[in-house]
Amino acid sequence: MNKQFLKAGMLGLLVAGWLSQAAWAQSDPTGKRRVTSTYAITNATVFKAPGDPGSKATILIKDGVILGVGNSISLPKEAKIIAGDSLFVYPGFIDGAGTMGITKPKDVERPKDFVSSNPPDEIAGITPWRSATDAYAAASSQVDEWRKAGFTLSQVVPDGGMLPGKTALVLLGDGKTTNFLKLNTALAANYRSSRGMYPATLAGVMAKFRDIYQNTTLVIEHERLFTLNSGIKRPQATPTQLAMIPVVQKQLPVLFTASSELEIRRALALQKELGFKLILTGLENYESVIGAIKSSGTPVLIKLQVPDDKSIKSQKADGVTEATKAQYARVKESYDKALKQAAQLEKAGILFGFSTADAKATEVQKTLKAMLDNGLSHKAAFAALTTNPAAILGISGLVGTLEKGKLANLVLTTDTLFKEESQIKHVIADGYVFDYEIKKKATKAENNNGKPDAAPTAVQVEGLWEYTSETPAGSSGGEITLKRENGALSGTITYDDPTGSGKASAQIKNASLTGKTLSFEFDVAAGGMSLTVTISGEINGKNMDGSLSVPQMGSFPVKATLSSPSQAN
Amino acid sequence: MKKHIYLIAALLGLGVGISQAQVQKGSVLIKNATVLTVTKGNLESSDVLVQNGIITQIGKNLAAPAGVNTIDASGKYLMPGIIDAHSHVGLDVVNEASAPITSEIRMKDVVNPTEIGIYRALAGGVTVSHAMHGSANVVGGQNATLKHRWGSMDPADIIMQDAPRTIKFALGENPTRVHGRGNGIQPRSRMGVEAVIRNGFNEAIQYKKAWETYQFAKNQKGNTTPPPAYNERLQTLVDILDGKIIIHCHSYRADEIYMLINVIKDFNIKKVVFQHTNEGFKVAPEIAEYTMGASVFADWWAYKMEVYYSTAFNAAILQKNGALTSINSDSAELIRHLYHEAAKTQRYGGLTDEEALAMITINPAKQLGIEDKVGSIEVGKQADLVIFEGHPLSSYAVPQMTFVDGVKYFDIKKDNNDQRQWVAATEMVEPIFLRANEEAHRCMQDVDAYFEAFQGAFLKEKH
Repeated sequence: MNKQFLKAGMLGLLVAGWLSQAAWAQSDPTGKRRVTSTYAITNATVFKAPGDPGSKATILIKDGVILGVGNSISLPKEAKIIAGDSLFVYPGFIDGAGTMGITKPKDVERPKDFVSSNPPDEIAGITPWRSATDAYAAASSQVDEWRKAGFTLSQVVPDGGMLPGKTALVLLGDGKTTNFLKLNTALAANYRSSRGMYPATLAGVMAKFRDIYQNTTLVIEHERLFTLNSGIKRPQATPTQLAMIPVVQKQLPVLFTASSELEIRRALALQKELGFKLILTGLENYESVIGAIKSSGTPVLIKLQVPDDKSIKSQKADGVTEATKAQYARVKESYDKALKQAAQLEKAGILFGFSTADAKATEVQKTLKAMLDNGLSHKAAFAALTTNPAAILGISGLVGTLEKGKLANLVLTTDTLFKEESQIKHVIADGYVFDYEIKKKATKAENNNGKPDAAPTAVQVEGLWEYTSETPAGSSGGEITLKRENGALSGTITYDDPTGSGKASAQIKNASLTGKTLSFEFDVAAGGMSLTVTISGEINGKNMDGSLSVPQMGSFPVKATLSSPSQAN
Repeated sequence: MKKHIYLIAALLGLGVGISQAQVQKGSVLIKNATVLTVTKGNLESSDVLVQNGIITQIGKNLAAPAGVNTIDASGKYLMPGIIDAHSHVGLDVVNEASAPITSEIRMKDVVNPTEIGIYRALAGGVTVSHAMHGSANVVGGQNATLKHRWGSMDPADIIMQDAPRTIKFALGENPTRVHGRGNGIQPRSRMGVEAVIRNGFNEAIQYKKAWETYQFAKNQKGNTTPPPAYNERLQTLVDILDGKIIIHCHSYRADEIYMLINVIKDFNIKKVVFQHTNEGFKVAPEIAEYTMGASVFADWWAYKMEVYYSTAFNAAILQKNGALTSINSDSAELIRHLYHEAAKTQRYGGLTDEEALAMITINPAKQLGIEDKVGSIEVGKQADLVIFEGHPLSSYAVPQMTFVDGVKYFDIKKDNNDQRQWVAATEMVEPIFLRANEEAHRCMQDVDAYFEAFQGAFLKEKH
């Protein structure tokens, strides 16, 4: 190629870049601003929607919108090219209901004349006027984790009591822009009672829900009379009632968290009695209630997590009585049933998506595999991640498929979606591209040095590890000491003391090394409660890369280095 | 237009038909049993024919219609399903202890049909239980009358839909401890308990009036009356005043029993049953004259100060004074042998077989307002039946089979080790130890947890 031409080309690119940047009119001292907002994924295998067999195409996106999907798209000069030749492109995943990036609002101080039998709504967890947007942090590590798992949009649910507030749709794009796609999309509801005050139990929550609903209906009637006539007593709607009006008028659905069969039936019964629009979320055990869900026509969001197999794995083959074996069999039966539930939803023709609340982002692939192995079709799983939640959230025109005019939410994988060796290489959310490291999985040949009988390379785990983790509270770290006695791993871990300064130490429990994956648990005492923290990660040489998960809070990245390995015995 | 309404009515009728069809109803012929009808005497080696959940024939040498199974009960006793007028089995929540009056609470909201206690009750011949709110409040929640249709996962299937509404009241130490001592509000004393009830009913009268005024005004042209606030708590008290709900009142002392009798007389309330009623024998004539009687323990008292004065003759004395009397369990353990509890009235009080059996069948049925449906073996009644080996009042009695609506839900020959309906997929299986400390009495369940927040002074007593 002529050097002169190359120079001209470079200049052209620079000018184009300068022109597109000129509109911003400011310099970027951080150097972080992206060069372009136009991207082209060329010659990739594109799956536009569930059921699409996939075909080679180029996708052009600009400013967060898909400009075209096809084979004869002319690419503008400013388009940054992502060579898609070996990539597979899917619509970005949608989380029907999640708590990523959400913090719980601080408790309101009790007034001096507080009466526990009739507390103010705000103290009793009844805050339907609140919005998830006030409690959402786009820069949260949980958001990073779920995006890494392929999610590009979430309906975030506020935390709090029985009616914590309204949900909002957020795009998991760049944390520095306004990521809200739609505000006030549903009223969050659950069975959480208030500690030490009314409503203190599930029974109280049910009664209180009816009370709020009925009185909102009456307030609407009062407002109507007041508007039409003069000389009428002023209506005195409470903030709770004002926030409930769109629910009572059936403009806003109630997003009810109901994990068990009984909880689901109770929500369905309440819906039948009062008549509101209902979406069920957080479903975990629902096998026997699928018929009732179907006949009620309620859309559902099942928890994106299958039951953990700890109890199944701990079942012993020998040395147990017949009675214990019979109990084992029942647990196994329940476990197998639980894995088949998603497939049964598909069979029943119920519109369902996923909820990421209380689920682990690092286990999405494992969870989906378990559901697929138990009868869920690829097409249905694909739909549950994309088009179904889009339909449930009423945003099918915006997201869920790869089409011209839709939002630029995409997942780019190294193989077809549900293949075990498939990894996510890029996630594009709101037109922002996020790149992920592709881990080279050790092939059998490498593992065994080509000799089939050779023992796999021993993983060095014993010794002193230094680790750091990133949590919403900031960066923290400590030391992990591991040793092996009689074949079992044990040790201690130090961590930043949550109750003060300095380090605290804890015993490591349930440590195991499976292949290259190390996992263990430890208990942290905080605020009178004991939390069990799980760390698991993959060891490569002297480095470990993984996650630290805390119940109710989510999981956070953790990195560790083996600073002083124990000498082999 | 008329046609339209008719159509809607037909549709509604159809809807009801469908929802009721979910409750299973059986047909069976039980032959050659000693039939203890309770209301119509004993019938030697007789047959009872059940068709579609209803007793259709009682007699000798009955033939089974086509497709109806026959059970030979030669040498065995057949009695009506036992009814427990005070139980907390099958409930996920017992006390909403947070306010002195919580009449808006519905136990039907928190029924759990998978609770193993229901199966165990069936194994003791109990087919109907009165799943009550606890006794933490002066006026507690509305109770649920359950039919033990074990195996259903839907709470609606085990709730006896055709039973009248009932509600829990509680007098004495429990409400004064929870609200007065625990929370510093009324009621702090027995006088306060009375005041809470009287104030509640008086407010309910005003509430009713406000709504009547509004309902009238609403239908006038150019109405400018706005609706009053909705309050299910007061509306429920209105329903009590209107005779739509039977009060079941936790009580021990004669003075407080007599107090409530005076209150209901003042408010012209007729439907009251006293629960526990350990000093009932002192005011038996009054209970007989003004109330629907008492539901008592056979021989259980002295578990706290207000229950020190009692006697095992309580049930017999009440009964001989003409008070409708039943024996209850209030316990997941006692519910398994209520027939044994009933027999104690023969040792202490010399009641006849029929009188003793009535204490756990037709009498509690009357107190729950379901005596036209269950509680005795009569043609036209729902076929809730128990087959016993040995006379049910004998120390050697063992229930063999228990039927609800003609469907067999317990059979001692098919009683597996593990009868749980639901097992968690993540349950860690641990060795089973047989324990005697059944979490027995749940009248004050959920109260301790509730009051941890107050760090109030709490005693261990539960009833």
